[in-house]
Amino acid sequence: MRLFFYPVAALIVLAGSAFTFIAAQNWQVADGYSVAFSSDDASGIFKGLKGGVVFDEQNPAASKFDVTVDVASINTGNGLQNKHAKSDEWFDAAKYPAIHYVSKQVVKTGSRYQVTGDLEIHGIKQQVTIPFSFQKMATGGSFAGKFTVNRNDFKLGNPGGDVGEVIKIDLSVPVTR
Amino acid sequence: MLKKSLALGIVSGLLAGIASLVYAKVYHSSLGADFSKVARTVGILAASVFGTVLAALGYWVLNKWLKDKGEIVFNFLFVLLSFASILGPFATKLPLDLEAPELFPGLVIPMHFFPVLAWHTLKPLFFKQPPGTSK
Repeated sequence: MRLFFYPVAALIVLAGSAFTFIAAQNWQVADGYSVAFSSDDASGIFKGLKGGVVFDEQNPAASKFDVTVDVASINTGNGLQNKHAKSDEWFDAAKYPAIHYVSKQVVKTGSRYQVTGDLEIHGIKQQVTIPFSFQKMATGGSFAGKFTVNRNDFKLGNPGGDVGEVIKIDLSVPVTR
Repeated sequence: MLKKSLALGIVSGLLAGIASLVYAKVYHSSLGADFSKVARTVGILAASVFGTVLAALGYWVLNKWLKDKGEIVFNFLFVLLSFASILGPFATKLPLDLEAPELFPGLVIPMHFFPVLAWHTLKPLFFKQPPGTSK
């Protein structure tokens, strides 16, 4: 019986620590997040950010982001612009109700991080790299990142026009364990 | 006549403002849309009085200038400008923390017509007959 005690105890400790390790990396998107976009003549925010975030500062390679944004939650501050943005000329919210981002690789770059993954908007998938920072807090943390996309890559609207083709995206996502 | 016009402008502006505030209250309680952050009580009252005082000055000028035709030109312009002003709410960009901006025009567009309604409702109390006309 004694013979098995230490191996079994070691196995329990190991399994327990592995579970703790995995659990520590899972984050839940908290309220107060901001997914803002801006370009010439158009700016606004998206609500309805959902998804799974697995992130470990010590082991960024093991991180995984799989998040969606509800297209219908767009708010430009103007009702007519909102309706126009959801129409088939732009996001076509009825046909493509979500913006989806799935990471493929997360690396540390100095004091910041960089995630590369597939961004799907309007049914078109493009590889996008997002530089971001992570600030750890007492009960959670906060991700912040900025990047740009060219709306023509996703066939959003017609080329040219009043709305700039390069759209700046500004992310601020508080998370809790 | 200028004094009477201005008095009518101020009183009808206040009436329009009160009607707008009542309407805002009904709108909020029935649809749940709260735009009090951008359509404040003082702002609504001030805008209503400003509009009708401006109308009072226009009324006085047109009646001085066009005599008999001043009344009809004024009425036409007041209604036309009230209609034209509804483009404003459609173009307004609200703060992004306000949800459902689609409901904003429904709140403020009727308010754009309250000054002209209040003016014509109260006008007989101030002018027994149009100032430019004679019996």
